[in-house]
Amino acid sequence: MRLPPVLRLVARNFASNLDPLTIIIRFGQPAVTIVVLGTMFSSIVSSSVTGGTSYTAFLVPGMVAFQMITGGVVSGNLFWLDRRWSMVEQIFSGPFLRSEYLGGLVLTTLLFSLVGVGVMMLVGLPFIGVPALSAVGVGGVLLTVGLGSIFFAGLLIALGTRLRSANAYFTIQSFLQLFVIFLSTVYYPVTSATPRVLGVIFYGNPLTYAANTIRDAFAGRLGSGDLVSFGVLGGLAAAAFGAAIWGFRTMDLGPIQ
Amino acid sequence: MDRGGLVLETSDLGYSYAPGRFAIRHLSIGLRRGEILGLLGRNGAGKTTTVRLLTTLLPPTEGTAVVLGQDLRTGGRALRAHLGVVLQSESLDFVTVERNLTLYAFLWGVPREKAKARAEEMIELFELGEARRRKPWALSGGERRRFQVARELMHDMEILFLDEPTVGLDALARRRILRYLRDRARGGLSIVFTTHILHEADTLCDRIAVLHLGRLIALDSAEELKRQHGGAREVSLTFAVPLSTELRTELTRELAARGATAVPQEPNADASGRLVFQARGAEELLPWISGWSHTRGLAVDRMSVEAATLEGAFLGMIEETDEEARDGEAGRSSPERLRGTAGGVP
Repeated sequence: MRLPPVLRLVARNFASNLDPLTIIIRFGQPAVTIVVLGTMFSSIVSSSVTGGTSYTAFLVPGMVAFQMITGGVVSGNLFWLDRRWSMVEQIFSGPFLRSEYLGGLVLTTLLFSLVGVGVMMLVGLPFIGVPALSAVGVGGVLLTVGLGSIFFAGLLIALGTRLRSANAYFTIQSFLQLFVIFLSTVYYPVTSATPRVLGVIFYGNPLTYAANTIRDAFAGRLGSGDLVSFGVLGGLAAAAFGAAIWGFRTMDLGPIQ
Repeated sequence: MDRGGLVLETSDLGYSYAPGRFAIRHLSIGLRRGEILGLLGRNGAGKTTTVRLLTTLLPPTEGTAVVLGQDLRTGGRALRAHLGVVLQSESLDFVTVERNLTLYAFLWGVPREKAKARAEEMIELFELGEARRRKPWALSGGERRRFQVARELMHDMEILFLDEPTVGLDALARRRILRYLRDRARGGLSIVFTTHILHEADTLCDRIAVLHLGRLIALDSAEELKRQHGGAREVSLTFAVPLSTELRTELTRELAARGATAVPQEPNADASGRLVFQARGAEELLPWISGWSHTRGLAVDRMSVEAATLEGAFLGMIEETDEEARDGEAGRSSPERLRGTAGGVP
């Protein structure tokens, strides 16, 4: 049976670009963070700061949210490598539409992020037990990570369509990743003691909305505030995806360094 | 799908990368089923742009093209499903050579068993047996190029575009690939082939299109191109008896009147009865020389004409075009004129 073009491209993305070491590092890093950072900080961070839970219980939803970056980065890098090694041009010369290639990248991102969510949940289980996730909560987590992944993938793909140097791409990607992670509520909450400037920056960061919503879902208290988060993430995802589409339409397929 | 035997037909096709800046312009060519068309030209002549236009990787900015009965602009995926493209730039996936082949076949929707069998065939044909379990970065330049051609042949197609497929290949590998392409063309595959190795184009291609500064300056068989643009070639005559000074002077004068130039000879040439000169359209002088000798009762032992080469013809065409451009329009450089206006070159 011949699979639809998008699924063939997704299968190729996994088969060709994701070696075991990459997968282990991508999932291993946040998993180790849960184990080491969670254990160490649980003994020094008061539960009053983390909303009445242990630091590990605070961290696990943050690491789940982190998966949207993992998925986005994987997809962005896949695209960059395809472009660098002329596979984008080669694939576009075959029986595929540009939209299918982009769709394949998005689907790869989503699959990667969702697997990451599962891995983080499994790693977190021994530390925090079974979270109070309802069916709506599970849906909320998946929707959040999905939208966040599309946002980051779209952003990096749009960036990848414009840049012509690997150095520039990977430098910007690392810079972006670092700041997005540390200027969010993944590792720490925004409290009354947080400097106002930092608080404003935190709430300009989609990862903050994602981390907060997933925490609410884990605690079984999704509310109207989370609808705002979905809206913000949805809007940002649409904008980033739009930028990626524009980048694809106007991209020069010629050789890059 | 054919239009009078043509699987590809372009009319005034062009691509401009900025207003008034054309990478290729007024390209009108046709490709028959089973034909191998060579695209020759200097670096930057527009060969790769032409391949990218004809494979829908670039949208034409002017002119029309019908490929396999479909408009190039709207054919899209349905059209590309019948094309094969070996790009000039290296393209690869980060898996072994063998896996690359089957993965590419999978992308094209080739059934698994057929893909496996074809991968074996390609590995054998392109001598990739030792490299089959290696990743592409562990291959030599020649192996990578062979691999890239082999990978494209994993799926069925009606037209194959090859952009400098033999770069970096040794003579044996090149011969093997060219022979394979010739066989495939006999089987009905149409091929568009770019190369800088003119001897290769001479032996492989049914017709050759010469591009210069984004324009098509010639389209014909290699033989015809050599005949028309081969330039001055050396003709050597050896008379049974050395010519007298008077006869030698007369012959030299007559030949000069017909455009020939005497070639300085070794000191004892007169004594040997040998005369060497250069002439354009050298073959056409031979009957005249025979007649001249016959009427004077002279016997010619040997008459030989240096073989025309495609390289000579190619260089001749480029020079002729540049001269025409220089003569045609004062005040603008020839490249500017050729790229910026229509009709600068036929």
